This record gives sequence, structure tokens and C-alpha cells, in this order.
Amino acid sequence: MPEISTLSEGIFEITRGKKQLATRNLDPGTTVYGEKLFSVEGSEYRTWDPRRSKLGAMVLKKFKIPLKRDSKVLYLGAASGTTVSHVSDIVSDGAVYAVEFSPRTMRDLIGLAARRRNVYPILADAGKPGTYAHLVEPVDVVFQDVAQPNQAEIAARNAARYLKSDGHLLLAIKARSIDTAANPKQVFRDEVKKLEQAFEPKFEILNARDLKPYHEDHLGVLAKLKE
Amino acid sequence: MKLEAWFGTLDLCEDGKVLASDLFSKNVRELALRSLSLREPGKGIPPAGFELRSAALACGFVESPEEYDFLLHEVTLEAAKLQVSGAITPDQRIILAVEALDDINETVNVLSERLSEWYGGYFPESGLSGEALALFVAKYGSRKNVDPENPLSAKAADSMGAELETLDEALIKGFATSVCSLYDRRKQIEAYIESSMENIAPNLSLLAGPMLGARLISIAGSLKKLAAFPSSTIQVIGANKALFKHLRSRAPSPKHGIIYSHPMINTAPWWQRGKISRAVAAKLALAARMDLYSGEKVPSLAEKLDAKVQQIRAMNPEPPQKKQGDGMKSKPKGKKKRRQ
Ligand SMILES: C[S@@+](CC[C@H](N)C(=O)[O-])C[C@H]1O[C@@H](n2cnc3c(N)ncnc32)[C@H](O)[C@@H]1O
Repeated sequence: MPEISTLSEGIFEITRGKKQLATRNLDPGTTVYGEKLFSVEGSEYRTWDPRRSKLGAMVLKKFKIPLKRDSKVLYLGAASGTTVSHVSDIVSDGAVYAVEFSPRTMRDLIGLAARRRNVYPILADAGKPGTYAHLVEPVDVVFQDVAQPNQAEIAARNAARYLKSDGHLLLAIKARSIDTAANPKQVFRDEVKKLEQAFEPKFEILNARDLKPYHEDHLGVLAKLKE
Repeated sequence: MKLEAWFGTLDLCEDGKVLASDLFSKNVRELALRSLSLREPGKGIPPAGFELRSAALACGFVESPEEYDFLLHEVTLEAAKLQVSGAITPDQRIILAVEALDDINETVNVLSERLSEWYGGYFPESGLSGEALALFVAKYGSRKNVDPENPLSAKAADSMGAELETLDEALIKGFATSVCSLYDRRKQIEAYIESSMENIAPNLSLLAGPMLGARLISIAGSLKKLAAFPSSTIQVIGANKALFKHLRSRAPSPKHGIIYSHPMINTAPWWQRGKISRAVAAKLALAARMDLYSGEKVPSLAEKLDAKVQQIRAMNPEPPQKKQGDGMKSKPKGKKKRRQ
């Protein structure tokens, strides 16, 4: 029988020989991207591959994950829903507003959302937060993984509109989306500085570290609004 | 202040209280369509931090947070589905058909060769191949069954091929029937491409022919991208090996673009081909732009191209004199045949 321990609300570590990250499956019996299913004490868990998910990597890099069972999340860059599915597991009584702008990818995300009542698929450009203002309520967490050059600005503009004053911003910053030649460390410093100073609202960085060895040239950032 | 939410238009007073509201019916499809119409942000974007959920409860659109969740979930799903299905534009449907056609061609060639080899042992004199062979085998099976009216009946009667036993005959007949149905599928796809091309790119279709036109769109990625290419690019589209991957089967020589399969170019003598292909490419570029922007068929385009090509032929009746070291060594010398 695998052993299970809680790392953070809704996030677990399964030990069965080796340790693996997992969430409790909101859609029992179904896997999303080939992850394993385990039953422990009457609940089904899905393993969570940190190499496939920047949020998963952030958990292992000891970020304090600000997600609770009833959290509302605005997720920018949902792609086909690998990470969204785990967020959906974690915020089982909350909501994941999943924004993605590629119609092709959205097709997969729709399949996922049809099976998960707390995932709201939105085909839109996260760079234009006003285009989904008629759908999205204020949220506890803005999560962003769009891998675009202006990712910090996109995060800030969405936070300005949707983040509750005590909410958190979680960001994956990809060094190569910004400047392919520059030194990633320098890129990360610049992006963090932008978040602290360049936009309205300004952020207070709570944690920022790279996501090695799970993702190369990626920085994870946890921030909240500056008072 | 008036604002637009997914469930209706709200009138708010200063402190954010809902004064009045114009709510919609709880019909998922209507709500989804309306949600899509609100994507273009104009007036009435809810202010930052606006509590949509409490407003929906306060004005009585829904009775509980659960109902809000449920309806919004249905509406976002429906809206996303509508958007995604609208995202396959007619030119993309053509591209998908071209890709399917390439796959079928590849398969049909492999299977036809297999049939030819297989049946060759039983009736080597048939002289048939491809679809004709598949039809023959599917119809008769063993050459013994060929009816006397069939032109091959005499050959079949004194063929030196082996006897086809019942079990093998059933197998090979079934195989041939599958090959026939692939040939039918191919015709169906070709007909689809022809009629779609006539609708979305009538000028390109007229000048290039529907199949070549569809392939140009396919390699460019969309009609819009094709229309943005200068004619010099159109002239070499498909020459790049990497771009060639979905042209596997009927691929023309890779050193030229696929427009070299155009009848005006591939029937021209070698010394005229460069000039004619430039003229064709220039008119195709124009045709693609007309198709994108007006969609009206302009027959004079074809006439102009004809005239231009006639002129090139008239002005270059003879192969140019071979200059020293001009790289024409491989071309046949003294090929003086004149095109009428
Ligand atoms: C690195 S992937 C996200 C992977 C995903 N977060 C996961 O872990 O499963 C980035 C995604 O963001 C999307 N994207 C990029 N720019 C965007 C934008 N401006 N608005 C919305 N989505 C965007 C891309 O289409 C792509 O699917």
C-alpha cells in the first residue's frame, strides 16, 4: 500500500518505493497526460510530473503554494491542460479560469474542461485582459505560464484587473522567450525588477528561484501585491 | 454606470450596488453567443475587481453560487467550442484535404505495387497496373473468370500464370477491393478540393488548376499567407526539401518549385521555362490576392497570362547560344525543335 503525506493543501507526496508528487483526482478513473493513478484509503490520486509542469516543479522547489480547496484561480497559458488538471484537483471547490489563445490547443482543453466542473475554458489573448472581463470574477491566484516576451507585463495587467488585494501571483518566466542571447540570470533579474517597479500595480516578490533540474532556463516567482 | 456581464447588462450606482438589470434567458447557446460578442471590449467593461458572482446573485439571475458555477461552466464550454469550430477556415479545410490526399496517394501506391506483385504470379500477361488492375482483380479474381467480352480474355485463357486457389483468390480479391475503395476515396477528396477551390480561390484555381492551387495554399499555410508572398517566393514554393514533406508522392523535381508542374511550364522547352515560370508566378501572386480580397473571378487574368506566355514563346523561339562556362553543359545541345 502506498503511503501518502500532505505537502500543502491538496498537494500530496506518495511513497511507494520512490517519492512522487500527486493530487487527488477530481475525475476518478481518467488520466490526462499518461500520469499514474493510485488508490489510497478510498481516494484516487494522480501522480504529478514536475518535468511536465512548472507549478509541479515549484512545489518541489519548496515554494509556498497559495492554493486552497476553495481558491479561485486565473490561469494564463493553459495549453492542453496538463497543469490545469492538477490545479483543478487542488481547488476542488473553487474555480480555474483557463485562458489559452491557440485554437488547436484549446480543443484539448475543452475535452478536459468538459469532464471537470471547476475548469472554465476561455479562448482569448491574455495580453488583452479586458476581453474576458465579462466572465472572470476576482481571483485568489493569478498563475501565468505563457512563455511570451512580455510575460511580466501580461501578469501585471491581469493581476491589476483580477487579483484580490490579498491574492497571490505565481509566474513561470522563461528566459529564452525574452532574449535568446542574453544570460538567463540577467533576464531573471530584469524581470523580477520589472514586477517590483515597472507596472501598476507593483509587486512584492516572496520567492524567486530557478526550476532546475525540472525545467532549464525557467524561473519560478511567487509574489503578492504591494500595499 | 452600465456594464456588460455574461448574464446580462447591469446598471450600477456609485457604491457598486446593482440598480437595474437586463438579464438574459438561461439558454446556454444564447449566452455563449452573447459572450463571444462581448469579446471586443467597447463600452461597459466591468471595472477591475468587479464581483460578477455577487451581482448575478443580487439581481436574481441565479439562486445559488452552485448554479452560477454550473451555468458559467456550460457557457464557457459552449463558447470555446463555437470558437474552435469556427477556427477551421475554408482554406484550412482544403489544407487538411490536401494532406489527406497525400497520405492516400502514398498508401495507394504501396498497395497497388503489392497487388501488382502478388497478382503478377497468377496472370503476368495482364499488362494492367494501378486502379485498372485493382478493378480487374476485384471483379474477376482468378483469370479463369474473365468473361469473353473482356479484351483480356484471350490472354487470360493462355496465360502462363499459376492457378489461383480458392483461399488465395478470396484473399487477393478482398485486397483488391480495398485498393479500389482507396482510389474512390482519392477521387472524392480531389472532387472536394476542386469544388472548394472554386469557392474560396476561383482565380488561383483558374490560373494554376485546383490541385496545384491547393498545394500552394497548403505549403504557404493559408490563403492569406500565400497572398502575402512576393511572386519570387511563389516561384520556388516547394523547392525546399523541408517544405516537401507533404508532397511525398507526386512531388516534382525538388530543384524547382511546385509551380513547375504547371502545364504552361512543364510543356515548355527548357530555355523558356525560367521566363514562363516567372510570368506564371507573377499572375498567381495576383490571383491569390484577388481571391483573398475580393473573391470575384476575373477571367481577364487568364487571358493576360496566355498573352504573356505567347509573347515569351514568340520572342525566344530558339535555345540561346551556349556561352562558355555558363553551366548549361548538361542540357542537350542542338535541340532546335521549335514550339508552335
Ligand atoms: C509553456 S505553455 C503552457 C503549459 C501549461 N501551463 C502546462 O504546464 O500545462 C504556454 C502556452 O501559453 C499560450 N499562450 C502564449 N501566449 C498567450 C497569450 N498571449 N494568451 C493566452 N495564451 C497564450 C501558448 O499557446 C501555450 O499553449
